[in-house]
Formats: sequence, C-alpha cells, structure tokens
Amino acid sequence: MENMNEVEILIVEDNPNDAEMALRALKNNNLTNQVLVVGDGEEALNFLFAKGKYSKRNQATRPKMVLLDLKLPKVDGLEVLRKIKSDPATRMIPVIVLTSSKEESDIVESYRLGVNSYIVKPVDFDKFVDAVRELGLYWLLLNQNPS
Amino acid sequence: MIMNLIIKHLVSIGILVSCFAELTGEVTLNQWQRDTIVIASEPDYPPYCMLDENNEPVGFSVDLFRASADAAGLEVKIKIGVWSQIKEDLAHGRIDALPLVGRTPEREDLYDFTMPYISLHGAVFVRKGTDDINSVEDLKGKEIIVMRGDNAEEFVRREKISDHIITTATFEEAFRQLAAGEHDAVVIQRVVGLTLLDELRIKSVVPLGFQIPQFRQDFCFAVKKGDEILLERLNEGLSIIIANNAYETIRNKWFGPVVHTGMSARQVIRIILFVILPLVMILIILWIIFLRHEVVRRTANLNLEIEHHQMTMARLEDNQRTLKESEEQIRLLLNSTAEGIFGIDNSGVCTFINNSALDILGYLSPEEVTDSDVHKLIHHSHTDGSSFSKEDCLIFNALRDGGKAYTDSEVLWKKDGSPFEAEYFSYPIRNEDKITGAVVTFWDITERKKAERELLALKNSLEQIIEERTAELNSQVQKLNRSQTAMLYLVEDLNSISSELKEERRKLEYSNSELEAFTYSVSHDLRAPLRAIDGFSKFLMEDYYERLDDEGKRYINTIRANASKMDQLILDMLNLSRISRATISMTEVDMGAIAESIYMEIATEEEKQQFEVSIEKGPVVKCDAALIKQVWQNLIGNALKYSSRSDLKRIEIGHRKENGEVIWSIKDQGAGFNPEYKHKLFGVFQRLHRSDEFEGTGVGLAIIQRIIQRHGGRVWAEGEINRGATFSFALRVEDGDS
Repeated sequence: MENMNEVEILIVEDNPNDAEMALRALKNNNLTNQVLVVGDGEEALNFLFAKGKYSKRNQATRPKMVLLDLKLPKVDGLEVLRKIKSDPATRMIPVIVLTSSKEESDIVESYRLGVNSYIVKPVDFDKFVDAVRELGLYWLLLNQNPS
Repeated sequence: MIMNLIIKHLVSIGILVSCFAELTGEVTLNQWQRDTIVIASEPDYPPYCMLDENNEPVGFSVDLFRASADAAGLEVKIKIGVWSQIKEDLAHGRIDALPLVGRTPEREDLYDFTMPYISLHGAVFVRKGTDDINSVEDLKGKEIIVMRGDNAEEFVRREKISDHIITTATFEEAFRQLAAGEHDAVVIQRVVGLTLLDELRIKSVVPLGFQIPQFRQDFCFAVKKGDEILLERLNEGLSIIIANNAYETIRNKWFGPVVHTGMSARQVIRIILFVILPLVMILIILWIIFLRHEVVRRTANLNLEIEHHQMTMARLEDNQRTLKESEEQIRLLLNSTAEGIFGIDNSGVCTFINNSALDILGYLSPEEVTDSDVHKLIHHSHTDGSSFSKEDCLIFNALRDGGKAYTDSEVLWKKDGSPFEAEYFSYPIRNEDKITGAVVTFWDITERKKAERELLALKNSLEQIIEERTAELNSQVQKLNRSQTAMLYLVEDLNSISSELKEERRKLEYSNSELEAFTYSVSHDLRAPLRAIDGFSKFLMEDYYERLDDEGKRYINTIRANASKMDQLILDMLNLSRISRATISMTEVDMGAIAESIYMEIATEEEKQQFEVSIEKGPVVKCDAALIKQVWQNLIGNALKYSSRSDLKRIEIGHRKENGEVIWSIKDQGAGFNPEYKHKLFGVFQRLHRSDEFEGTGVGLAIIQRIIQRHGGRVWAEGEINRGATFSFALRVEDGDS
C-alpha cells in the first residue's frame, strides 16, 4: 500500500485466513475501498496514532472504519479499542469488533468502551458475508469522510 | 558491924548445914526444884526491906519474896547490904536476886524483872514551913538529897530536876540531914518516906501534896540479866501467892490498918457507938439510895437490853426465813435444772444431790445416795468394766489440788448397773478460803456421743466417697485430658484437612481459571479453523465451481455441513459451561407468562397454525429469569421439534403444587422415547434419536437439568416411543409464592 493516508478500512486481525475471508467478504459486497490489514494491536495503534513505521503518515486522515479482532498478539483488541475511544482524535472512527468470542464479559466490556458494533464471526462464511455487508455498509455510509 | 558480920557468917553456916541436911534427907528430890538461892536486902527501906530488933531482914518485899520462893520450891538465904552495894552484887552474879527493884530503863540492861507486884509514887519531902516549892518545876535550883543508886537518883538525874543533887548512902541519913536544916528537899517513894520518918520520929519533915507522875515506880523482883530460869520460877511463885491470897495476907500485914494496942475497950466501944455505928448507918442509907438508884438504872438498862434482844431475835428470825427461802430457791433451782448436780465433801461422800441427778442415775430418793461414797457408787469402773481407782479419778485429783475438772470421755454407772457416757464438770466448794468439797455437774451424753459417732462415721464415709469421687474425677480428668489430646490431634487433623481443602480449593480455583481459559480458547481458537474450513470450502466452490463435478461439489457441501455441525457442538458445549459458571440472581418470575412468550418467540408461524397449545397461567416464583427462559426455550423447542412428524400436534403446559414444591410439566404427543433409556436422556451429548430423524446435539436436556439443579430442584421425564413425552421439573417454593 503506497499511500497510507488513503486507507479507508483498517482490519486488525492476526489470523491470515480470517483476514483473507474478511477481505473477500468486503469484496463480495463490492466494498472496494482502500483496505489495510495489520497483524497485531501495536501496529494498529502505530497506524492510527502515526507512530513507529507509520510516523510519516498524516494523522489527520482517519480510516472510515476499523474491523477489530479481540484476540491479538502484543496489545489485545480491548486495549486497542480503549485507546481509540479515549482519544478525541480517533474517537469518531466506527469500530466493529469482529471476534469468535461469544463471552458475555467481552461483549459487555466492548460496549462499555464504546464499540459501534459487535459481530461474532460465524463459521458459515455466507452468514459472515451477510453480517459484513449489513454493518460495513451501514458504518461506511454513515461515516462519510468530511473531505 | 562486927556483930553483923558474925551473924552473917552464922547464918551462912546455918544455911550450909541445913542445905546439907536437906540434901542428905531428900536426895530423891529434884535438884532443880529444891534450889537454894542467895538474895540481899536493904536495912532501911521500910516497910519493904528493913531489919527487925534481931537484925533479921523483914519487910513487905522480903516476906513476899520468901513466900514466892517457897511457892516455887526455892530455899532463900538473905544477906543484908546497902543498896548501892547489893545492886552491884546482883549485876556481877554474887547474889541470885533482889526482892525490891524499881523497874527503870537504866536497869533493863543489867537485870531481868518479874511481873511488878506493887506500884509506888514518888514524893518530895521538905522541912515544915517550906512554902516556895509547889511543883516539880520549883525544885530547879534547890538542893535535893537522894539515896545513892536509888531510882530516885536516877529519876532526878534523868529528868534534870535540879543542878544541885546531894547523895547519901541511905535515906535515913538523907532525912537526918534535911531535918538538921541542911539542903532543901528529899525525893523518895512516898510510902517509904513516911514509914522511915515515923520510925526515925522525925516530925519536922513532911511530904508535899503534888504528884510526881514521872516518878511512879513499878517494883519487881530482879535477877541477873539472862537468868531466865530463876525469873520464870519467881514469876510462877508470885502468881501462886497472888492466887492463893498469901499476897493479900502479906500486904495486910504491912499496910493493913494499924491497931493501936494501947486503946482501951471502952474507947473502942465509944468509937464504935459514936463513930462507927452512925457511920455504918449513913453508909447503909447511902448504900440503899445507891441501890435503889442502881435498880432503876439497871431496870432501864434491862429493858433496853430486852428490846435490843427482841430486835436481834426478829432480825435473826428474818435472816432465818431469808435463809430458808434462799435454801428453798436453791433447792428449786437445783431440782429444776436438767443437769445432774451433786455435792461431795473432801472425802468424796455425797452431801446433796438434785432430782435430775437421781433421774439420770436411776435412784428414787436422795437418801440412797447422800452419805455414800460417790466414786464407789457411780464412778467405780471404766467403760470396759475394769476397776476405776479413786486415785485416778479426775474429781478427786481436782479436789485434792483445789482445782477444776472436766471430761466427756468417761462413763458413770446407774443404780441398775448399766453405764452411760457422761460429761461432767467439778468445781471446788470454798468456805473462807478452805476447800470443803466439790460440786459436780453432769449430763448423760449417750445420744450426743452416738450422734458424734454417727457423724464421724458419716464423715469417714463422706471422706471415702470424696476419695472415690476424687478418683473418679481424676480418671475423668485423665480421660478428658486424653480427649483433649485427642481433640488437639483432631484439631491438628482438621487444620491439616482444612489446609488440604484450601489446597484443593486453590487447585479448584486454578482449574476453574484453566477451564475458563480453555473455554475462551475453545470459543476463539477451535472455531477459527472451522471458519477457515467452511470459508475456504466456500471459496473453492465459488472460484472453481466450473472445474468440479457433482461429486466434488457434494464433498465440499459435506465438509461445510460438518464444519457447521461441529461449530454448533462447540457453541452448545460453551453454553453448558457458561450456565454452570453463571451467577444466579433470583427475581420474581411469572412462569406461565414466560412460557407463553417463549412459545410465541420460537414457534414459526406455520407451527403456530398447526399446534394446539394450552399454557396454564401462573404461578409467580423466585428464580433466575434468564436461565428459566433457557429452560422453557429448550423444553418448548423439543416439544415442537419432536412433534413435527406426528399427526397429533398438541402441547400442554401445566403445573401443580405438591409438598412445598411447584411441579411444571410440558406434555406433547410427539415421537416420545424408549423409557428403557430414560436415564440417558439428561446426559451431555446423549441422544435417543438419530440426527437424520431429529436434529440436535444432545446438550439441550443437559442444560435444562443443570439449570434446575442450580435452583435446587429436580427434573425428570416420562414417555413412550411414538406416544409422546412429558417433561417435568419441580422447584421448591416458600409459602407465599404461588
């Protein structure tokens, strides 16, 4: 990806299979926006707050949507969510938690931290595609970039 | 003088001869009784000591001495000598006694004196016409003559009557000098002086009238100092002659009325007629007057005395009555006391005894005891019958020592010969500091002793009991100690068990957290590969659809179906695990309403058309709403599912109350089950139907059972194959729920 400033959808997912399926689900739904996939929480935060290898990125340009897995190496999903929602610069970015956990504590904690949607990844890919379509379209359309 | 000496020597010889004659004639007589003594007399101390015409010593004192000596059995030889000489002779033991010695303090050192036989008063003799001497004091400055060594000399010198004292050898010489006009006065015993003047026929010298009290003289016989034997015998002789009137006779001889032998009978008669008779008559009249006066006086005195005697008598009678009353009172007192009381004299003989004592001892009257030896009567033996000697008896020992006695460990003996245990006190009776006997107070203490013995026995048995109890207690204490030790061990065990439990609990907590980690892992990680299997099968289907034949497409579909089934199994398992761990929060839930809403929620429109459903309303019970909802979901879901192939589609939900429980049941007319396997119904992943008949993972009923169990209730099922099934669960309700 040449221009990090054009990223519209950020996928934070450590499982490459899941990441691929997510991309395909987006593609199946004709969501061909600029998508960036990062494999851990730390890289996600570096991207969002223009740190590390993303320090040259213009922080003012924000992705239109973040698909966030909870179970992540280094910095876990809930911590990433907390950082996004506690910083005024990133608070407005819609975050959709995409996780295989149906644990109530995870769900409750995610909503408490201000998650916009919570999707339990279905094993059935068709249902996954359905869910991505519904929520992804909703938040992408709702969250039109002012520019 | 020569004549005197010759006479003296003759007398001495005569004495010696007579003594010898007496000695030879009466040798058997006691020498002591027939002593001969030598005394000396003065020639000129009339009328006591003087010489008669034959120069023999005579006089009142000489006669008295002879008579006394005779009465005392003494022979007397008398020498004659002047006073100053014979006084010295006696002092030096040259003679044995003097018949006339005035007793003066100066002479006490030299002589011993018999009782006085006469007292003489001294007097002052002066020439007639001397008028300047009226008292002893007037003699001061006068020239006074006294006989040398006479007690008169001693007196004037002792009393310092005058500074000018002239002494003469005899009073004769003194009087002659005074009569011759020499000096002023002679001091001499009045009687001696008068007698001497009469003899000397001196008329010009007279005694003065005043007394000289200091010169009153007691006259005695004197012996040499220390000659007590002679003194005693002379006193004895003197006493005898005073007693047998010899003294009176001698006195009358020397001092009696002087009979003038020269008086004629006629003179005598005249004197009798004219002097004596009238005098006698006057005397008789005076005597009669005196007697009458005396009678009156005596009568008065007698009356007084009679009165006095009567008063004394009355007082005596009064005293006697009082005494009698006191005695009566004492007797009453003695007889009213419960104690036995008796008195004994010093020899142990009973002097009195009271009624209680008689009762106790079994005697009927005091006479049986009084005048008897009490020890022999009631105290003769010890308890064992052995003899009790009087020497050992406390009462008699105390009586002898004048002390008290007490004991309560002896027996006294009754009249009938039986002993009883007694307690007694003995106190001495004192009469004017002399112990005259003792009074003994006693009780029959048989009962008391018995009680004491019983008490002692009781005490001993108590002590034994106490010992036994103490031993029991000790053994109990030991047991307790052992129990305590056991308890300590138990506590130790409990502690170790408790720590084991803690360890177990820690392990359990650890495994719980592991389980949670496992569950989390399962829900995330186990499903991820399934997603990939399903997802990539789908991609294969989409991307390579043209290149797969029908069989290939079927394989892919089979893969995807199994992945889906496995996902469902995992979800159900997670569900069951979550229910087991979930916290239960009890709220009031209307069961009928819940069942109704669940049915409306899960039944499809088609099913709602086909099924005949009856749901009984109520009751409201306390339970976890979310979990109970799950129960109803599963039960109603099952009923719908297993009735799907049946013609009769009917579901009845009802409840009943039984023994404090509310029992709900849901009855369908579906496939039912083989009751033979009903124990497997609620097991996890247990299924009684094949999946191609009815879908399912076999977790639904297990979840129901888990939830009801967590509410403290029970769940069960009845059914038959193709005859429907009835699932029931019971929850315990408190009164007021329903």
